[in-house]
Amino acid sequence: MAKKVVALVKLALPAGKAAATPPVGPALGQHGVNIMAFCKEYNAKTADQAGMVIPVEISVYEDRSFTFILKTPPASVLIKKEAGIDKGSGQPNTEQVGTITTDQLRKIAEIKLPDLNANDVEAAMRIVAGTAKNMGVAITD
Amino acid sequence: MVMSNRWWELKIFCQPQAEDLVFWRLDDFGCHGTASELKGKSLLVRAYLPQADVQLLDLAALSIRLRQDALVADYPSPSVHWHLLDEEDWASSWKQYWQSQVIGDRLLICPAWLDSQAESVGDRLTIRLDPGAAFGTGTHPTTQLCLESLEMRIPPGSEPTVADIGCGSGVLSIGAILLGAQRAYAVDTDSLAVRATAANRDLNQIASDRLIVQRGSIDEVAKLASGPVDGICCNILAEIIIEMIPELFELTRPKGWGIFSGILLEQAKPVADMLEEHGWIVATLWKRGEWCCFNVRKS
Repeated sequence: MAKKVVALVKLALPAGKAAATPPVGPALGQHGVNIMAFCKEYNAKTADQAGMVIPVEISVYEDRSFTFILKTPPASVLIKKEAGIDKGSGQPNTEQVGTITTDQLRKIAEIKLPDLNANDVEAAMRIVAGTAKNMGVAITD
Repeated sequence: MVMSNRWWELKIFCQPQAEDLVFWRLDDFGCHGTASELKGKSLLVRAYLPQADVQLLDLAALSIRLRQDALVADYPSPSVHWHLLDEEDWASSWKQYWQSQVIGDRLLICPAWLDSQAESVGDRLTIRLDPGAAFGTGTHPTTQLCLESLEMRIPPGSEPTVADIGCGSGVLSIGAILLGAQRAYAVDTDSLAVRATAANRDLNQIASDRLIVQRGSIDEVAKLASGPVDGICCNILAEIIIEMIPELFELTRPKGWGIFSGILLEQAKPVADMLEEHGWIVATLWKRGEWCCFNVRKS
């Protein structure tokens, strides 16, 4: 018999560094999930991607057991990586902190496509471009 | 008076499409990670900041930023709320579901908050444990595999010295001592784990000169033990174990043994290759779920 999912929680965490502090503790503690067990499994599966943020979608079942799947990194993390910057702009309207090419934008959109509410790469590119704009990262040809 | 930690919990209701944008703004503001879930057609994103790190004015400024971001990206304006949260609210919430657990043939793990007399099972040796924020609750397959391996490696009367690298809650060191180890050297690079191990050692009424715990890694054990040990247990991550294998070999006596876990089945081969390359003989490979545990010896 399939177990019933009682909660679906998504966490965006630094790879290999999950701990029983927020956001993991409050998000999973309320569902009775063994937080340390989750952290250990997440850290084991993401340790080789240190420095990235790896979102994870956790299904919590009736018996408080859980499974999880790893998702694609947030667009902002991929944009920073492609643009070679550590931080976005505090004033994106007036201060530009980096650039990415249309090809780089497409590359990010293709990575993100499975997790975005977009039907095709062009729609995904528009979403990612919106994030880049707010970060002060310009798109060049 | 000891003040408990308090956190600002930020709740942002936004369009699901705006998730990455919201994440970026929160990350930029200093939030280390977010939690999100769908609430009807909206997405609820939660983020946290230590109370001491931000003022109310900062939160108000963040709220304005989040609204500006949505406006620029042509999304509906998100609603932003915040309140203070006590750390204790979640740290213990899952414990109520944690029960005593038999491990292997000789051990029983009993949560510190339960009556160990009432929970005892036959003549099993009882490890009392309060895992705190450190790893090693006994419910994880790798902890169970390591404890079962210790049962095999420490028959009655053998009295080995044992090093526990990455001791977490101290469960393996305590298990080794209860099974008959003469002395255990427990080390961890995480100060929380060192504190948890010391607390669990006291909880199990083990003398501090029999279970010696120190912050650090292999070098620290070599100093504390002033020479090689009979056995090593190491339940951490495959990548770290692979890096440590040469040093672990040096830390062990000529007829010594090792128990290595925290390794996913798919990571077993590179670990096995590295072990054999550095002189270890793989005696057994135990599997549970998607995890495995190497029992190795030097000769």
